[in-house]
Amino acid sequence: MKQITKFSVLGLFLMFFLFPGSSLGGEVGVTDTTVLVGCSNSFSGPLVYPGTQLVNYGLEIYFKHINAQGGVHGRKIVTQYYDDGYKPQNAVANTKRLVEQDKVFAILSPQGTAPVMATVKYLTGNKVPLLFPFQGVPIKGVKTIFTSFAPYPTQSEVVTSWLVEKKGFKRIGILYQDDKYGYTFRDPAKKVLEKYGLELIAAESYKRGTVDMSAQIAKLKKANLDALILVALPKSGASALKEAHKQGLKGTKIISSGPLTDEKFIILSGGVGEGVWGLSLWPDPVNSQRPAMAEYREMMKKYGKDKDNRPNRYSLFGYFYAKLFVEGLKKAGKNLTRDSYLAALEGMKNWENGIVPAVSFSGSAHLAQNAGFMVEVKKDVFKPISGWVRLKDGKLVEEPL
Amino acid sequence: MQGLNKGKVLSWTGVLIIIALLPFILSKYTVFLLSLLAVYALVALGLNLLMGYTGQIAAGHAGFLALGAYFTAIVGTQVEWMPCLVIILMAGIFTGIVGFLLGIPILRLKGFYIAMATLAFGVVVSEIILQWSSLTNGDDGFQVPIARIAGFSFDSDFKLYYLIIFVTIILTLFAKNLANGYIGRAFIALKESETAAQTIGIDLAKYKTIAFAISAFYTGIAGGLFAYLITYLSPDAFTIELSIDFIAMIVIGGMGSILGSIIGAVILTGMQQVLAGLQNLQILIFGFSLIIFTIFMPRGISGMLNTLLERLSLAMRSKNKELAQES
Repeated sequence: MKQITKFSVLGLFLMFFLFPGSSLGGEVGVTDTTVLVGCSNSFSGPLVYPGTQLVNYGLEIYFKHINAQGGVHGRKIVTQYYDDGYKPQNAVANTKRLVEQDKVFAILSPQGTAPVMATVKYLTGNKVPLLFPFQGVPIKGVKTIFTSFAPYPTQSEVVTSWLVEKKGFKRIGILYQDDKYGYTFRDPAKKVLEKYGLELIAAESYKRGTVDMSAQIAKLKKANLDALILVALPKSGASALKEAHKQGLKGTKIISSGPLTDEKFIILSGGVGEGVWGLSLWPDPVNSQRPAMAEYREMMKKYGKDKDNRPNRYSLFGYFYAKLFVEGLKKAGKNLTRDSYLAALEGMKNWENGIVPAVSFSGSAHLAQNAGFMVEVKKDVFKPISGWVRLKDGKLVEEPL
Repeated sequence: MQGLNKGKVLSWTGVLIIIALLPFILSKYTVFLLSLLAVYALVALGLNLLMGYTGQIAAGHAGFLALGAYFTAIVGTQVEWMPCLVIILMAGIFTGIVGFLLGIPILRLKGFYIAMATLAFGVVVSEIILQWSSLTNGDDGFQVPIARIAGFSFDSDFKLYYLIIFVTIILTLFAKNLANGYIGRAFIALKESETAAQTIGIDLAKYKTIAFAISAFYTGIAGGLFAYLITYLSPDAFTIELSIDFIAMIVIGGMGSILGSIIGAVILTGMQQVLAGLQNLQILIFGFSLIIFTIFMPRGISGMLNTLLERLSLAMRSKNKELAQES
């Protein structure tokens, strides 16, 4: 009798796991009428908002728009997504599922440092293109990987250089999270300051999850800084802003870094964010008057299902990189293979897109966007206070917005 | 009696052959999933030995899994020549020792306080991994070296499957013997009534800490296999939710049942696979199914299956009796 129970286990095995993978002729994920892309992303867990926005209101709305026009070279874009809840092991399982079972042409814009980094070796080994992941750790020198925005160390260098060169600040300090994430900003800032013959006047840290910043802010106040670079996750960052407001850190300009330059963070800080600076990678999703931005908002309204179709940086990310992906498809031509696609991207020069500076790739440069612009919070909106700034051969370059 | 044993041997051989042949029939991805499932089944086994048999609620097994995984990854990187099975065994022993040490202060606690303490343990482990970045690489994550035994590399999911299934089968048999033996009976006695168990000479402190150590040992070994299978570790992998998932596995599968642990791992992993494709409803569906499982199958699926089989055999027996009487 016990054997029956044992065999029922086997039955369950078979029930859940015997889905046969479908095989296609020609390039993986490509037919005459379709091209299949997908990713593992956060539809639950700590990054559920960015994940849902990036996919449902970013990638999806642009693909709907393209498919409504008949697709690219007669191929409609078909998508498949799986939720990893920001767990690396689930991202690995999902990515293997996309590659081996669904047989996608490429992985497009998965999210989160750990989930993305967990899949890099596997994707590289299997020569599956990984395109424009949403994360800030540098990935360089891989033929099949194209990255999206400037990695965090680069962002830190750009901001610090700008503060010194354009604003003439000398007394610069930093408040950072005491882990790798924090060091990713702190160390490049230090390096840049040394280049200018300066040093970090004050460096205070906090443990992840801390909300009481009173001691750190008190010390930073004593240091009498021109500028304070704030490297924090939104909750702690908001506490730091509130504390700085309470203790009256008036002579010091606060610069929020990395993902902190986001509308949600201003709301979290409860009105004390006024005057804070940051590096923005995107034009204001709500207020920018650029035609390409107006088009993004229109499509968001047209294709963005249900209530959450307010413009924001995450859906804009998805929208922009879907557009870039499609541009690559157009360039690769009718005869689409992974190789022809990667070659088409590498051959892309000065692609004007109306959203960020023109995109160029080459055999050795796979980064889509290396520039940002400085913004200041004015009445809960990020107003530009600089042109597009980036580093060219270690030197700060500024171009008009 | 003899015939039954022969049948048993035959059916087990059959099962083993099927398990050995599966990677040739199934898709690459499915083979990977089976390996992941086996890893989770090992954790569920370990957790069941603690929770199901001795009744101590442990909500921090993701912490033990992390210890085993990082131990394997770090030792594997430092001592490249060491066979992976030795490293995994060491990871299990190391985690077991930590479990034993954790078990000592927990002796003073009861019921939900044990749950709180173990929950805190899980959080502390991920925090240590995060902060001790010189050893663990912290947030940046740790690239796990390929599992090797004397020049042979387990460098594909296909090869890893055999390593993982081999370890899982050995440890399942070991758990079965343990559960049916003296220690298992002592565990059950503890669960039923601590006072009664003590009066018949069961050393409460000893067996409670042993239970913790064994449970941690299993989870540590699972952690080692997890590291080799996933190939990349980061503190984000070992969250409270994962610990809760493990509890859900044994609740669904059946507390105090070896088979239940495996069934639970199959159901939960399978469910996560199905739900990963749905975006909005997955947490709702997951929650509802948990409620349904606990209401309609309070002893888990293995409990329900046993009840059904008992009824079936009762019915068969009475029918046989009737037939006998008629003739």
